Amino acid sequence: MRVQKSKWSRRSFMKATAAGVATGMVGGFSRQASAAEGLRSIGLGVSEINEIQDKATKDLGFSVTGQAMGYGEMIGKMLNQPDQYEIAEGYYHDLAILWPAKVFQPIDTKKIKDWDKVTNLTKTGHLTPESQVGQGAAPYTMIYCDENGKRQQEPSRYITMVPGWHNADSLGYNPKSTGRPIESWSELLNKDWKGKVGLLNVPSIGVMDCAMAIEAMGLKKFANKGNMTKAEIDFMIEYLIPLKKAGHFRAFWENFGQSVNLMVNGEVVLESMWSPAVAAIQAEGVPCVYAFLKEGMRGWHGGFSISSKVQGKQLDQAYEYINWWLAGWPAAFVARQGYYHSIPDNAKKFLEPVEWDYWYDGKAAAKDLPDPFGTIIIKKGDIRTGGSYWKRFQIAVWNSVMDENDYLTKRWTEFLNA
Amino acid sequence: MTTVESYTKLTDVAPQRGLIGSAPPVATEADVKRKYRREPGFPVPILIAPATLWLAVFLFLPLVSIFIFSFWKSTGHGMTPAFTIENYRAFFSTDGFFDPAKPDFLTPSVFIRTLWLTFRFTITTMAICLILAYPMAYFLSMQVQNFKWQLALFLLVMVPFWTSYLIRAVSWLPMLGRQGLINIFLLGIGAIDEPLSFFLYSEFSYTMALVQLYVVLAVGPIFFSLAKIDRTLLEAARDMGATPFQIFREIIAPLSLPGVAIGMIFIFVAVMGEFATAVVVYGGKASTTGTVILTYYVTGNYPFAAVNAFMLMVAMMMGVIIILRLVDIRKEL
Repeated sequence: MRVQKSKWSRRSFMKATAAGVATGMVGGFSRQASAAEGLRSIGLGVSEINEIQDKATKDLGFSVTGQAMGYGEMIGKMLNQPDQYEIAEGYYHDLAILWPAKVFQPIDTKKIKDWDKVTNLTKTGHLTPESQVGQGAAPYTMIYCDENGKRQQEPSRYITMVPGWHNADSLGYNPKSTGRPIESWSELLNKDWKGKVGLLNVPSIGVMDCAMAIEAMGLKKFANKGNMTKAEIDFMIEYLIPLKKAGHFRAFWENFGQSVNLMVNGEVVLESMWSPAVAAIQAEGVPCVYAFLKEGMRGWHGGFSISSKVQGKQLDQAYEYINWWLAGWPAAFVARQGYYHSIPDNAKKFLEPVEWDYWYDGKAAAKDLPDPFGTIIIKKGDIRTGGSYWKRFQIAVWNSVMDENDYLTKRWTEFLNA
Repeated sequence: MTTVESYTKLTDVAPQRGLIGSAPPVATEADVKRKYRREPGFPVPILIAPATLWLAVFLFLPLVSIFIFSFWKSTGHGMTPAFTIENYRAFFSTDGFFDPAKPDFLTPSVFIRTLWLTFRFTITTMAICLILAYPMAYFLSMQVQNFKWQLALFLLVMVPFWTSYLIRAVSWLPMLGRQGLINIFLLGIGAIDEPLSFFLYSEFSYTMALVQLYVVLAVGPIFFSLAKIDRTLLEAARDMGATPFQIFREIIAPLSLPGVAIGMIFIFVAVMGEFATAVVVYGGKASTTGTVILTYYVTGNYPFAAVNAFMLMVAMMMGVIIILRLVDIRKEL
């Protein structure tokens, strides 16, 4: 509707408003009606990116909308409103909570076109024959189920979640401030950095970073850092409380932006970090290195589940969308933020050779490289710490939801309030 | 005409103090009749229906369901109907509370301590807000004579409220940080050799941010109750030789108390429910009951989140009742 400026009277304003409201309502209804048509996907900003779902809509010929949510919101919606989404782009360790709620349906690998090409990381736990499976909720322990949705450990035709993007987290640091390279998790609790350390404030994950540090310092050996006993949790919290009282931790961060600001503003020199933060920090002119730690990294793995409410034509479309994802375009898109794909060869098809060499092969960048949105974030000559995907993806422990999660949360609250 | 008898009669039937101050005078039959004759407009039920419906559906029902859910059982991924006091036991109990050998001997549970911490921050904030807001409101209502100026200055006090809550909290970071304005200034004039870190991610920054976020909630009500004071009273007192301090103590302070009480209630309720500010300016180094609720919500333990929410509500109600018992609001409204 076009309204000439000079004729913008109260009446025309009312009309426009009424029209707008009406359109909104019709739009709302039509969207509801077409819920039986296209797909609605929910997840974190890691995979829910307008460019990806727009491209899917274009390539697939039906509408795909993505909703990027906060972590808590996402879990809440996945658990409580399975009729409000068709695709859940979640994370393997959260299946411990989500799968028993019966909000997802078993996925038939026969309908996943490139299933054979998916690496063994999620199938057997071994990315390479030599690599370790890692403690905690390794994806291969969470992936299999039978036709009726009963989870099992043995390989099966049916799975809970189709593997997609993943990465290994570690510590980020400012090399100028530390004055030396950071190569062990023990540095997280090293008193040299008193008052200059940031920690991730998600109890189940923050606790694992600390467990890695305590183990690296040789104070205690945990049977399974991904599923600690009450006694192990107690030991760790008792160790952490005096440290906190002494002012060891500068801040506990909860979202990506906070972690970037902490280092950019010089509040911390060392913190738990997600890999895209490095580029964001460097873009602000602050030096930052993503540490490759000798004890191994903390891994996480995302993928696609289908809501239990989806059936018929929409179910076919859900499989189409997942197959489209695995085919590589979106995988190449997120690779430019440092995330890996379950079928590296498919990502390779959509990456420039120079990009592949840097992101996957661990070679020095032959030229300046952009992030997914075209901003140059990698300077010529930069090299990814830890080397190639197959060399650096050494997972000591996977993100997990522990059996003693409630107890852990309680003790963590005590730690925060100490 | 007032006789001695009628006066004593008046004081005899001094209204009883209810939950929130004096009850209104009991209406006589004639009053009731007149009332209806005096209000020929919409019938009362129609007037109160929208608000009642709104409150019933969006306030009362949710509150009741929170209370009910607090007795349900957590399944680890949701909840099932049940009646268990296990959640409340977990809220109140400490392992080793009765065991002198344990480190937690006679220590209240972490959730009670968190609620206490939340309460402590709230009281500090209220006290500082009162100290700042009262003189501000006093100046606006008593010293500024011109109405236009009064309005302009009052709007100026409101300016911070024109921008979003989060921006007001986040804007402290470039101010207080290690490389923030204050440290740059102090380093610049040579007062310190190394940047001070206690400005940010500390109790100091948290309290300061809370005060700045909520002080307006106190200025408004105090300003209005001060502005309502009949100036002839003050004049009469002056004529009779009262000192400024006497005038304040005998007239201004008592008459402005309802405004103070309302302002304090606003701040009390707002700060008790806080959960975002601690993350931004305290670096998450303390958790409030609000953050505990959120943490348990995220891990799908809704019943325990509900217990915390309910206990917070009880604490808030108790606080509000105490404030209202201390100050008789109805007397002035």
